[in-house]
Amino acid sequence: MLSALKRIAAIARLVLIDGLRRHALMGLIVLSMAAQAGALLFFDFIPRDIGRASSDFILSLAWLSGCIFLFFHGVQVIALDEERKVIYSLLARPISRGEYVLGIFAGLAGLLLLLNLLLCGLGFGTLLIIKQLVPPVYFSQFHIVPYLLAWFGLIAMELMLLSVILLFSGLVRGSFPVLLISLSFYAICSGLPVVREAVNQQAARTEGLTGLKTMLLWMTAIFPDFDRLDFKNMIASSAPLPDISLLLVNFGLTISYLGLFLWLACLVYQRRDLQ
Amino acid sequence: MIAFEHVAKTYAKEIATPAHTALADLSFTVTKGETLGLIGANGAGKSTCIKLLMDFIRPDAGSIAILGQTPAQHTIRSQIGYLPETANFPSNLTVLDMLRFTGSTCNLSQQDTRTASEKWLRRLGLWDARKRPLRNYSKGMQQRANFTIALLNDPELLILDEPMSGLDPIGRADILALIAELKNQGKTILFCSHILEDVDRLVDRVLVLHRARNLFVGSPQVLAEQQDCPTFMEGYLNLVQQVTKNA
Repeated sequence: MLSALKRIAAIARLVLIDGLRRHALMGLIVLSMAAQAGALLFFDFIPRDIGRASSDFILSLAWLSGCIFLFFHGVQVIALDEERKVIYSLLARPISRGEYVLGIFAGLAGLLLLLNLLLCGLGFGTLLIIKQLVPPVYFSQFHIVPYLLAWFGLIAMELMLLSVILLFSGLVRGSFPVLLISLSFYAICSGLPVVREAVNQQAARTEGLTGLKTMLLWMTAIFPDFDRLDFKNMIASSAPLPDISLLLVNFGLTISYLGLFLWLACLVYQRRDLQ
Repeated sequence: MIAFEHVAKTYAKEIATPAHTALADLSFTVTKGETLGLIGANGAGKSTCIKLLMDFIRPDAGSIAILGQTPAQHTIRSQIGYLPETANFPSNLTVLDMLRFTGSTCNLSQQDTRTASEKWLRRLGLWDARKRPLRNYSKGMQQRANFTIALLNDPELLILDEPMSGLDPIGRADILALIAELKNQGKTILFCSHILEDVDRLVDRVLVLHRARNLFVGSPQVLAEQQDCPTFMEGYLNLVQQVTKNA
């Protein structure tokens, strides 16, 4: 077990170092940080509820940066390893395919955490400055716990997407098909709650939509509802934090989802030919 | 050390690519300390053999044993040094990063990794370039870097896929000398090459593959004698021409 962890860490280290030396990723980090600092200018254009709008801006920007990282770097890692035959050099060492997938996940997750850590720190400072610059009526509430909870939720969503990308990377060859499928998956995840809500409203007026309602509900098992992990509206709100049991359920489901998708990714990768 | 028994492999049909038989009923063995050369035209099945040994692909039929286990047993690869045909690395890494990775996955101590890295980097003329990103290496340097990585863990078995690929004449002579040195140390070596001159110079036996089938296994001299030719190279060409004519 310990030596397996050591091998996973060795792959993760390569992914981490390769990512940190990649100019495009450095550019993404600098651009994200500059854009986040831009919230200091952005809040001047908001007429009211500055706290909520600024925190929304900061978290949305971090989500966008995370998505750019996942869809333009994360998607490429396994696909390019195969296309450039780097994978032969890596798997020529005593590493199982499962360890390779987990190592890639750990390395990319490390890069994501680093990106989010920088943005989280900078975002906190930015919000503190904004709070001091505006009258209390526009930005009355700002506490560290909801702020950290919002980031925790954001990272959980990004890790779920990453596990899905790794599964698709095992199922199809080439970075572009993986990108298209992953984007479609994300679009379905984002659209499903809206469709479900619309069907529920329709069902309240007419009968006979039970089958569709059940199907949409079960689809959430495959296409998770990211809204459950979106706590950014609580950062500048006076509303109490969600019940701890609800948080445990949501994060517990996230961990189960991550575990299941990574297990499937390892299983698929273990079985396929690396041509 | 290596045993192939009635191994068959067909690459499945894909969009715009028909199914293609890469190996059909192939059997051969490589004993400890032996050097076997895999030769054949492009598409004969040489690289497929190596990919099967490294567990990059799986056979459709037959069985493969390597160091007494199946290739799927990934831990055996700590006793194998593998040189891929095309040397490719993650573009932003240095050879030192790859050597640390190799040391760590093969359970070498940091001190052993450092010592072996320095030995092989100096031996293969990469010491001064060790901190340069691998993407800036020439093809020959990448091939030598790959050799350094393959030899770091002092493997019992070396699997070399086109080891002279991309090397200039000086680099080629150096690598030939290195393979001969490893052979003299008693390492078991399986290598495939298109350069028959190198094969003739290094191997104990050759395995001639042609259109997924085994045409000949034995020493280069026996092949030349069997074909009634003065050299191994001519013997090989004669054998392939005969088979093509009869097909």
